[in-house]
Amino acid sequence: MAFDLEVDAERWRRGLRALVEHTPGIVPVIKGNGYGFGRDRLAVESTELGLDTIAVGTYAEVPAALAAFGGDVMVLTPWRPFFTDVVLDDRVIHTVGRVEDIAALSAGAGSGSRVLVEGETSMSRHGLDRHELAAAVAALGDLRVEGFAIHLPMAGSNLGEAERWAAALEASQVETTTFYVSHLTPAELTILCERRPNLDVRPRIGTSLWLGDLGALSVRATVLDTHLVARGERVGYRQRPMPRDGFLLVISGGTSHGIALEAPKATAGVVQRGKSLAKGGLEAAGFSLSPFTIDGKQRWFAEPPHMQASMIFLPANARAPQVGDRVDVAVRFTTATFDAVNLR
Amino acid sequence: MSALVVRPISTPEHLAFVRSRPSVSFLQTPAWATVKNEWRGESIGWFDGVTLVGAALVLYRQLPRLKRYLAYLPEGPDIDWTDGDLARWLTPLAAHLKSQGAFGIRMGPPVVTRRWHAATIKQAIADPVLTTLSAVPADESDSEALEVAAALGRLGWKEIGTEGGFSAGQPKFNFQIPLSGRDEQDLLAGMNQQWRRNIKKAAKAGVEVTRGSRADLADFHRVYSETAERDHFTPRPLPYFERMWDALTAEEPDRLLLYLARHDGDLVAATTMVRVGSHAWYSYGASTTEKRDVRGSNAIQWQMIRDAREAGASAYDMRGITETLDPDDPHVGLIQFKVGTGGEAVEYLGEWDLPLNRALYLGFTTYLKRR
Repeated sequence: MAFDLEVDAERWRRGLRALVEHTPGIVPVIKGNGYGFGRDRLAVESTELGLDTIAVGTYAEVPAALAAFGGDVMVLTPWRPFFTDVVLDDRVIHTVGRVEDIAALSAGAGSGSRVLVEGETSMSRHGLDRHELAAAVAALGDLRVEGFAIHLPMAGSNLGEAERWAAALEASQVETTTFYVSHLTPAELTILCERRPNLDVRPRIGTSLWLGDLGALSVRATVLDTHLVARGERVGYRQRPMPRDGFLLVISGGTSHGIALEAPKATAGVVQRGKSLAKGGLEAAGFSLSPFTIDGKQRWFAEPPHMQASMIFLPANARAPQVGDRVDVAVRFTTATFDAVNLR
Repeated sequence: MSALVVRPISTPEHLAFVRSRPSVSFLQTPAWATVKNEWRGESIGWFDGVTLVGAALVLYRQLPRLKRYLAYLPEGPDIDWTDGDLARWLTPLAAHLKSQGAFGIRMGPPVVTRRWHAATIKQAIADPVLTTLSAVPADESDSEALEVAAALGRLGWKEIGTEGGFSAGQPKFNFQIPLSGRDEQDLLAGMNQQWRRNIKKAAKAGVEVTRGSRADLADFHRVYSETAERDHFTPRPLPYFERMWDALTAEEPDRLLLYLARHDGDLVAATTMVRVGSHAWYSYGASTTEKRDVRGSNAIQWQMIRDAREAGASAYDMRGITETLDPDDPHVGLIQFKVGTGGEAVEYLGEWDLPLNRALYLGFTTYLKRR
């Protein structure tokens, strides 16, 4: 099977280096599927880039990160007393976002650990209310504060909120001047650093680092089989009739690769919804648009994707690829799993 | 937990209860009803069996042309706010006040939710991004007190919105100097340089601070009226202060004290201080426009602070501040003056309303908004 990520390594690394050079204090985020590259590979790249700290999503991701990376590993998900996979290591920096958690970590086996104190932003996901900071400090005990962290939303401008938190941090009893932020644009970061010269601002960046230059990346799926089909001919697991005469292509890449895994769309405006309605055509017949591009167009699934391959319908007037040809696939890198990642 | 009963209590009963407590607001003393003689006052008590466990001064304000009242418990009632079951205190309160003709209740729980130290406020004023106290991380937050707000909401009470911390009633944000366990050196060391310099300057200039008697109220009032004109507020008439003197000093001889600061025989500043138990309040202040350079205001404050400490007070309360920390807001001067003393900003739970007759309450609040 060949559902591969092809990376123009030189171009991709040029992008990484440029971003790292322009972003002092950057902490690369390496979590989940490793943005399609795999977490280990990104850990190695981080070492090559000369960075001192990486951020992972969960404790489950920590052991491999410690093995693949020589510096500090911070965990983005706040520590909870009921986690069973917590890794206590001097290279691990925990995130704390509840006063009771701080007290529990400090009193338990994690006493002496390094922590980031997280503030609750308009994300409303994790973190302390600003008025809880004094209580948080009082609960720290032997914990060593490595910095203060905020996680900002991606909608609109975040500079105002980032600066309000920076000001709150400076007026608070939290004894740190290291301020970890996410989702600020380079321009916003520059302004924040200028306005808060006393703070050491450290941006945590994932997507715009690893997937910052999509032109360096291409996803290729291999055509495994082609069949001529007639209108009304029944095919596949579900024996659905074909809508027209054409080709049935069997292409590597199925649900195990993350094909057709749907997350709620980030763009859900009226226009967007209108567009998908207007597409009509095969969608109205119960067919779904696939992420495979063949002969210049995105093509329809002949039936729901299989685990490791997909069946694609191609109308007779299109130019059909040959077995062994490779076709482009549009994937969401954070949900894709490739058979191979080829850096060339 | 047994049910509590609310019923009127006599003035002596109320006063005895106040004396048994570490402190309650002076607006909750029975004497305050005499001062506010345009309102009808009533002392009420909460009884657990035969034991008096809580008390309040209720001021009834009549609606025009109707025998219906707003029942106002300024900075009260004095009950156990940390009791997990507030309904057992507030339900009988509402029933009693309704039977007295109240269409709504307004109260100001004497519950401190947050505190900000002087150094924090000073830093925040210097920071252009932090323009209100709420935006500044509090140095102390009381989660139990914050829970009271949630409990009041569940019981149908509504917090009255304030504009920058000043509502029609009592201020939500106050400034206090903690006195417990501190000596004069410590208090002076907590002040900023300007305060220390001004106190020294006044002493060097020969400013003398003395305590006044009832007869000196007229002198106080002369300076107070001058201050009112300068600062554009409407002064209260002299009889108001005489009534306050008579009522409060009758309750305790040192409940109300008058201070006079003189320079070369000229009165340059005059103030009043109220004390109930371990809490002392700076209540009224006045200063002349002439001779401001001798710093009578600083000298008189310093005398009150020292006297409050010697009398065993644990806090010297400089009362209301606005929430603003915006250097462009004219109100910031007041907070800066108070911050200079090295105390702390204190946030109370604010004032809360419970409508008992929805139509009348709505009419009343609309009337207040238009006023």
